Amino acid sequence: MTATEIVTPPAPDPGAAPPRRRAALRRLGRSPLGIAGFTVLAVAVLAAVLAPVLAPYSPSQVHFDAPFQIPGTVGFALGTDDLGRDVLSRILYGLRASLLVGLLAIALALAIGVPLGLAAGYFRTLDAVISRFTDLMLAFPFLLLAVGLAAIRGPSLGNAALALGIAHIPGMIRVVRSETLRLKNLDFVAASLVDGASDVRVLGRHVLPNALSAVIVQATVAIPQAIIGESVLSFLGLGIQPPDPSLGTMLADAQQYAARAPWTAVVPGLAIMLVALAFNLFGDALRDALDPRSTR
Amino acid sequence: MRSYLLHRLWQSAVTLVLATIVVFLGVRALPGDPAAAFAGEERDPASLAAIRERLGLNDTIVVQYGKFVLGALRGDLGTSTRTGIPVSQMIGTGLPVTIELSVLAMLVAIVLGVTTGVVAAVRRGRPAEWFANGLALLGLSVPNFWLGLIAILYLAVGLGLFPASGFVPLGEDPLANLHHLVLPALVLGTGIAAIVMRQTRSAMLESLGADYIRTARAKGASPRAVIGRHALRNSLVVVVTVVGLQLGILISGAVVTERIFGLPGFGKMTIDAVFQRDYPVIQGVVLVTAAAYILINFLVDIAYSLIDPRIRVAGAQT
Amino acid sequence: MRLSTAAPKIWARGAVTLGIALAAAVTVACAPVQQAAAPGATPATDIFGTPADPAAVQRGGTLTMALSAEPDMLDPTQSRSFYTRYVFHTMCEKLYDLDQNTRIVPQLATALPTVAPDGLTVTIPLRQGVRFADGTPMDAQSVVTTFQRNLTMPGSGRRSELGPITSVEAQGTSTVVVHLSAPFAPLTSVLADRAGMIMSPAALQQLGDKFGSAPVCVGPFKFESRVAQNSIDVVRDPNYYAADRVFLDHITYRIITDASIRAANLQSGDAQVADQLSTQDVPSLRNAKGIQVLDSNSLGYQGITFNVGNTSGLGNAPGHVGTPVADDPRVRQAFELAVDRQALVQTVFGGLYSVACSPVSPDTVYTSEAAQACTPHDPAAARALLQEAGVQMPYPIKMITSNNPDSLRLAQALQALVADGGFNLQIVPVEYSALLDQQDRGDFEMLQLGWSGRIDPDNNITNYLSTGGGQNVAGYSDPALDALLTRARTSTDQAERVRLYGEVVTAIHAADPIVYLYRQRNYTGVTSAVSGVQVFPDGIARIAFAGRTR
Repeated sequence: MTATEIVTPPAPDPGAAPPRRRAALRRLGRSPLGIAGFTVLAVAVLAAVLAPVLAPYSPSQVHFDAPFQIPGTVGFALGTDDLGRDVLSRILYGLRASLLVGLLAIALALAIGVPLGLAAGYFRTLDAVISRFTDLMLAFPFLLLAVGLAAIRGPSLGNAALALGIAHIPGMIRVVRSETLRLKNLDFVAASLVDGASDVRVLGRHVLPNALSAVIVQATVAIPQAIIGESVLSFLGLGIQPPDPSLGTMLADAQQYAARAPWTAVVPGLAIMLVALAFNLFGDALRDALDPRSTR
Repeated sequence: MRSYLLHRLWQSAVTLVLATIVVFLGVRALPGDPAAAFAGEERDPASLAAIRERLGLNDTIVVQYGKFVLGALRGDLGTSTRTGIPVSQMIGTGLPVTIELSVLAMLVAIVLGVTTGVVAAVRRGRPAEWFANGLALLGLSVPNFWLGLIAILYLAVGLGLFPASGFVPLGEDPLANLHHLVLPALVLGTGIAAIVMRQTRSAMLESLGADYIRTARAKGASPRAVIGRHALRNSLVVVVTVVGLQLGILISGAVVTERIFGLPGFGKMTIDAVFQRDYPVIQGVVLVTAAAYILINFLVDIAYSLIDPRIRVAGAQT
Repeated sequence: MRLSTAAPKIWARGAVTLGIALAAAVTVACAPVQQAAAPGATPATDIFGTPADPAAVQRGGTLTMALSAEPDMLDPTQSRSFYTRYVFHTMCEKLYDLDQNTRIVPQLATALPTVAPDGLTVTIPLRQGVRFADGTPMDAQSVVTTFQRNLTMPGSGRRSELGPITSVEAQGTSTVVVHLSAPFAPLTSVLADRAGMIMSPAALQQLGDKFGSAPVCVGPFKFESRVAQNSIDVVRDPNYYAADRVFLDHITYRIITDASIRAANLQSGDAQVADQLSTQDVPSLRNAKGIQVLDSNSLGYQGITFNVGNTSGLGNAPGHVGTPVADDPRVRQAFELAVDRQALVQTVFGGLYSVACSPVSPDTVYTSEAAQACTPHDPAAARALLQEAGVQMPYPIKMITSNNPDSLRLAQALQALVADGGFNLQIVPVEYSALLDQQDRGDFEMLQLGWSGRIDPDNNITNYLSTGGGQNVAGYSDPALDALLTRARTSTDQAERVRLYGEVVTAIHAADPIVYLYRQRNYTGVTSAVSGVQVFPDGIARIAFAGRTR
C-alpha cells in the first residue's frame, strides 16, 4: 500500500539560507547512517544507469535449457528464473525501472503538490478549494485510479508512475501547505510584505526556500513508498509489463514458484529492501541534518 | 464549536457528492462492458444486448445517475451485475471485515509504533534506538504482500499456528474470528507501525527540544514526567493526524492483505468490481468509502481539537 | 540481444553491484548448470479419483473446497461462468451427466434420449418420484418450464446452446418431447450442462429473475447461504432421491483466487479439496504427505487467434484487414511451424499440460487421427514460408494478452520460441475487461485466447469459426467450413460425425485462423481427510458423494 507519511516540519530557518544549508551538509557528512544510505543509493543508481553495460545478458533473454538455476551457477551469478532468464541482469534492469517509477512518481507529486500547497497555505481564498480537492483525492481509493489508468491506457511503467504520483500529491500538498501557513506568520515574511514585496516574490524568495527542507524530506520518504507501491501494482498485474522487468514484477512472478526457487523472490525482495532502506536512512539523516535542534 | 461543526459537515457533503460524480463518470469512461465482463467466454452479440438492457445500461448517463441517487437515498444501491447479490448486502458483509481488520491493524500499529517511537526518541544514540529504527525501516521497506506470503508459508502452513486464509464472522465465533485475523492484522499493521514509529520519534524529538520542555527540565521535573506528561502528549497531535490519514488508506486499500488472506473485505470487493466492471458495486463502494473517510477525518479533527484547543480556532478560520 | 559468455567478466560485473550480489554470497557457491527438470516428460496418466467406499467414510461432517474463482449468478439460465458449475454440481442435477470416460449418462433422465429418424423429435424419459429441495415434485411439466425459461428469458445464456428448438411438451408426468426445426446432434451434451438443470417451478414463480439468490433444484445438497466473494454454503438435502448415498452434511466452497494460497490451504488442512492447482505447485503437492493430486485432461484448449476479418466488430460482416498475417494464410501457417508446442508446455508448465493441435478433445468419442493431426515444429520451414509470402523478416507481430501471471509467462515464452521461426513477437498486456472489449471490436492483430471446452466438438468450433458465430472474434468466414460444420452438427450418425470433424480440423489447419497450442489438465488436490472426490475431463470436482475419512 502506498501509505502517506507526513513529515513534521523542521525548525524555522529565517533569513539567509546558504550558510545553514552548508552546515546541514556538514552535519549530514558526519552521520554514518546517512553516508551508508547515500552510498547504497549511489551504487544502486549507478548500477541502474549502467545496466546495459553491466548486465551479462539481456533481461528478457530466455534459456529454456536452464530454468531455476541456483545462485552461484557458472554464467548466472544470481541464478535464473522459471524461463531461465538471468536474475542478475533482470535485477539491474529492474532496478532501473523501479527507480524510474519512484522518481517519476515523486516528480509528478512535486510538480503538482508544491504549487498547490504553496497556494493553499498562502492565499486563504484558494485554501478551501484546494483542501476540498485534497480531501477528494484522499477519499478516492488510489488503487481504483491505478486500475482505471491500466484499463484505459494499458498497464505500463508510465501509468504506474502516474498513479503513484497522483497518490502522493495530497500528502505533498498538506506538507507544503502547513509549512507555508507557518512561515507566512513569521516576522521576516511579514516584514518583506510590509516592504511592498509582491506575493509571488514572497513565495519564491522566502517561503519556498524555507519550505524546501520539508519538501526534500517528504520526497525521500515518498520515493521508497512509490517503489514499494510499484511492486504492489505489479502484484495486481497493473505495473510494468513483461518482458521488461521491475523489482516488483520479479517479486510478483516469483510468488508463483517461491517454494521451489526461493532466490527468485529473495533477490528482488532484498533489492527492494536495500533501496528503500537506503532512501529511508538518507532521508532520516537529511531530516536530522536540516533540523539543528534535533542534533543534540 | 457548533458553527465549526456545521461548516465541516457542509464541506463533507460537497466532497461526497463530488466523489460519487467522479466515480460514476469515471467507471463509464473505462473501456470494457459490464455485460461482456459478466458473460466472459460465453458472450455473443445477441445476449450481450439483452444483458445490457437488463442492467439498464441503455439509459442516458443522467438517467442512470438519477436512478443511482434516488436508490441510494432509499438505501438501495442496486445489485451486482455479476452475482446478482444486492450491493448493500455485499457492503454489509464486506465492510465489517475491513473495519475489524483495520482496527486491529491500527492497534498493532499504534502499540508497536508509539512504543518504539518513544524509545527511539528517548534513548537517542543508544542501541535501543538503533534497534527500534531498524525495525521501523524494515517495516517501511518490505512490500506487505510479500510479508503476507511469507507469513502464510511459514506461520500458517509450516507451523500451523494460524489458519492460512478465510474468515469467521465476529458474531459467529469471536475466538475463531480473532484467530483468522491475527496474521492479516500483523501484516497490515507492521507497515503502518513503521510510519507511526517514525512520526512519534520525530514529534518526540521536536517536543523534547522545545523551550517549554527545557523549562520543565530546568524546573526539575523528573524525566518520566517530562516524557510522559509533556513531550508525549504534544507528540500525540501529530500521531493522531497520521493515524487518521492511514485509516483512510486502510479502509480504501486493504486490498492486498484481504486478497492474500482470502478475507471477504471491502478492499478486495472494490478491486474485483473494477476488474469486472461491476458498476453498481463500484459506485456503492466508493460512496461508502468516501463517507467513511470523511467521517474519520471529521472525528480526527474533533480529536485534534480536544488534544489541542488552538487548532479549533485556526480550523474555524479556514 | 547481447550475449556474454566469459564467466570471470560476469563475476567482475556482478561484484560491482555489491549491495545486490550479497544475496549470492548467502547462498551456495559455484555450481554447474543443472539439467532442466524431467526432460520431455509426457503428462502423467489420468487420475480421476474413486467413489467413496461406504466402509471407509463416516456419515456427517463438513467438506471445505477452495475454489479458484468466484461463481457468478447461481441461476442455471443466466450463469456464464465455468466455476458456477462447480457449485451447481452439488445442488442442481442435470438431465444428463458425464462419466469418467466422457460418455454421456442419464442423471435426472432414466435413459439417453430417443431421436426420431428425421432427427426432429427428441424424447427424454424422466426419473420418477423425484422432489426438489423445496419438497415440490419434479415432473415433466417442471422440465418444460425450465426449457421455456432457458429459451425465452432475455439474457439467457442457454438460448444459443439449445439450438433450433421449436417447442417442448410434456407427455404424461415422466416424458418430455423436444421438437426441433433441424437435427441437432449436440443437444444431449448440452443437456449434460446447465441447460439440463431442472429448476423448481415454485421457486421460479416466487423469485423470478432473482432465482440465483436462493436457487432450488434437485440435488444431494441444497443452497444455504452465500457471502459475496468469500463463500457459498450448501447443506444435505433430505428430499434428494438418493439421500442414502450422501455422506456429508455440509459443503463450504471458499473462494481463493491465488493458486499458491489455495495450495497452502490444502497443506494446512483448512481446505480438503482445491481445484485448478498451478503447475508450479503440483510437483511438491504430489510428494506431500496426505495429499492426492487428481489429474485429467480438460476439454478446452488454449491458442492463438488471428484477426483475419474482424474489421467492424463482433456480430458484423467480416471485412478486409489488409495486413499480411490477416490476408495470407502462409504467414499464419509459418507461425504454427515456428511454435515448438512441446518446449512451450515444458518450459511454462513444467510439462504438466498437454500439447494441443485441434479443438477436438482427444478424450471424447469424436476424436480421430485426422482430428488430432499436428503441424510439426520446423523453424526453417517457417522462415521459408515467410520468404515465399514475401513479407518482412523477422515479421513483426503484436499479440494482446491478459495481464495475469500465467498468460504473461506464456506470452514471454512464446515470444522467445517463435523468434527462431522468423517472427518478432511484441507482447501487449491488456487488463481483462478491456481485453474482451478489444477482441470484440477487432482491435488486435493476434490474441492469446482459450476456451474451457465442452464434450461436443460443435460447441468448441462453431461459435469461434463459423461465419457470424457468436464468438468469432477472428472474423473468419469460410463457406466450405460452414457447410462442413452444419453437416456435422445435423448428422445423427456418430461415425459420420467423427469423420466430418476430422475434415473440419484439416480445413482449419489449411487456413490457421486459430493456432491451437495446448490443453490444460485439471489438477485438483484432495487431502486424506476426505475420500470419494472425483474429477472427470469436464474439470468439475465431484464432491457431492464424498465423505470424511473414517
